[in-house]
Amino acid sequence: MEQRLRSEVKALLEQGKIDRVIGFEPGSLKFTTTPLITSDGGDVDHLVINPFIVNNLSVYLTGTSGRVGIVAKGCDSRSIVSLIQDNKVLRENVVIIGIPCSGVIDLTKVERLAGKDRDELDDIVRQGDKITVTVGGERKEFPASEVLFDNCLGCEFPTPREYDILLDEPVTPTPDKAISEQKLDSLREMPPEQRWQFWKEEFSRCIRCYACRNVCPACFCERCFVEESEPQWVLPVPRWQDNLIFQVIRSIHVAGRCTDCGECERACPVNIPLRSLTREMCNLAEELFNYKVGIDKEAPPLFVAYELEEAEDLIR
Amino acid sequence: MADSKRINKEDTGRLLDEWSKEFSVSVPSRENGMPAMLPWDGKDTSFLEWYRNTVIPPKANFFPPYEKMFDFQKGAEGYHLELPPSDKQKQLIFGIRPCDARALTILDTVFQDTYQDPYYLSRRANTVLVGLGCTNPYDSCFCTSLGISPGESTDVDLMFTDTGDGFFIEPVSDKGRELLAATGGLEDGLEADEARAKDVKEAAYRKITRRIDTGDIQQRLAACFENQDYWEKVAAKCVSCGICTFLCPTCYCFDINDELSQDEGTRFRSWDSCSFPIYTRMPMENPRQEKWRRVRQKVCHKYWFYPVNLDITACTGCGRCIRLCPVNWDITQTLNNLPASS
Ligand code: SF4
Ligand code: SF4
Ligand code: SF4
Ligand code: SF4
Repeated sequence: MEQRLRSEVKALLEQGKIDRVIGFEPGSLKFTTTPLITSDGGDVDHLVINPFIVNNLSVYLTGTSGRVGIVAKGCDSRSIVSLIQDNKVLRENVVIIGIPCSGVIDLTKVERLAGKDRDELDDIVRQGDKITVTVGGERKEFPASEVLFDNCLGCEFPTPREYDILLDEPVTPTPDKAISEQKLDSLREMPPEQRWQFWKEEFSRCIRCYACRNVCPACFCERCFVEESEPQWVLPVPRWQDNLIFQVIRSIHVAGRCTDCGECERACPVNIPLRSLTREMCNLAEELFNYKVGIDKEAPPLFVAYELEEAEDLIR
Repeated sequence: MADSKRINKEDTGRLLDEWSKEFSVSVPSRENGMPAMLPWDGKDTSFLEWYRNTVIPPKANFFPPYEKMFDFQKGAEGYHLELPPSDKQKQLIFGIRPCDARALTILDTVFQDTYQDPYYLSRRANTVLVGLGCTNPYDSCFCTSLGISPGESTDVDLMFTDTGDGFFIEPVSDKGRELLAATGGLEDGLEADEARAKDVKEAAYRKITRRIDTGDIQQRLAACFENQDYWEKVAAKCVSCGICTFLCPTCYCFDINDELSQDEGTRFRSWDSCSFPIYTRMPMENPRQEKWRRVRQKVCHKYWFYPVNLDITACTGCGRCIRLCPVNWDITQTLNNLPASS
């Protein structure tokens, strides 16, 4: 895939079909990749595809000018579609280079299983459904279901449906809702008081760095409500109450736009399980409105469309 | 060293217990998977196994993410202010890393510059820093490029070095000497311990391979300050979050907000970041609307403006900004690739 990606991008740049490309290059730390945004044909050979391509690159689209080639996994391509639906991105301005995705490795899970930090591991190799981790010369094998991100394990659309170039054969989706929503299930089982206590504790740690918001393609508002001072919806002071309100409102704002890419939770430096909120928003959009995000670029966005008969159910 | 001591690792809990009688003791803790210096629970010393460094830098123990500055009431004669009771509790931070201790030395310069910051300075005055040298630095660490060694004791009061089964303990400051003299049950340090500690420090030093070239760094930054192409290129992937500044042990910017109800209220201060587009929007405008200007500011502030104004580089090479950045923006790459001119 990598070779094909490089030659496709080279051709697109040479033929003037794109002005720049957004992809991944090797990161500066072991087992990481980093976004590469470039118009320089000389950078194209740095492009990589591997099981560590965590970022949802569509977050860069609204801030990038000209015609853009973008490398997209299944969830990322749906974020792009959602941005097109919201008129934030014009379809003719993007060349979507789709990666049929078999899931991204969650290094936190690997660290926990291996009992070592990322930089202490010698190697992580993926072969099909097995992931082999070498630590201190010793090889340990884990099933993919133990080391992929929770959201990848529940992914229904691993192959981009909206694309201009698809780099490989489509992969068969194998979503396992039970594994993917384990954390969420344990929250569902809690009595409300306990759940309240849980979130109170989680949000006590939030430092309001806004990484969750800034890595999220669905958070495209030019001025976020937390930055309004008249009226002041929440204080920028990171008290748990303000933090919780920030995150609850953010979750509602991304409902119908969130593609469960998992970036918010991954970016959070203090490990708040944000996906338990955003995934639930996806579930609700499906249950209440039979709406799956980022499937149809012609469809109106969830909260922009309104059918008369909805009044009965929704607005009481 | 004449006044050095030693202790076996299994006695660490007992030592922390003894110190807890006089101090509120904080140790590395990863409750909820977020390593920070938190109050010791009186039993758990498992951090001796996993601790490399914290996510939340120890600056938070002196300059917390938010704090109340004062309450205020509006009366007939004007405003009445009520300061929070000053924190007289003596604290002891056990296990601070050399880079993070240096960061406090750096922060001191700003919090006691023209304006003496009572909140930060009173906590500083009440605190004893017990350092713990690194034996297993991260791949993101580059302290050695900033003149700090992973076994450095300069900025702490008392220094612990891991000698395998135990610790070699060196007093550094008067505070540290006093504490050590008042602490019972420690054996005198042996020459063998001292030799071992020296080896451990040297080995740790060699483990750090990430490097930046700090030679003429101010001149080199000045030379490419106007090179917009370069700064745009390095800034392209940054998403302007607060991670690299909030969690940088030397960043000190804060915002001030009032919570108001009728005629009274509370004034808070909380961490702020020059990475945010709305930074300084309240008093004026942000002169750094474009992202590349903000990224340039972060780098130049640490490596050029701060040294010019306060005579010390505002980076310790702790690597948090690299390790925790959601897009792996890497300050060492930005510094190492500086073009020769604009
Ligand atoms: S990323 Fe985490 S810490 Fe930062 S604002 Fe979001 S929830 Fe809070
Ligand atoms: S809310 Fe989180 S999971 Fe959903 S699109 Fe945004 S970053 Fe991705
Ligand atoms: S942590 Fe990374 S993405 Fe966030 S502001 Fe810093 S460099 Fe930019
Ligand atoms: S700039 Fe980065 S490496 Fe330097 S002290 Fe701050 S967080 Fe650590």
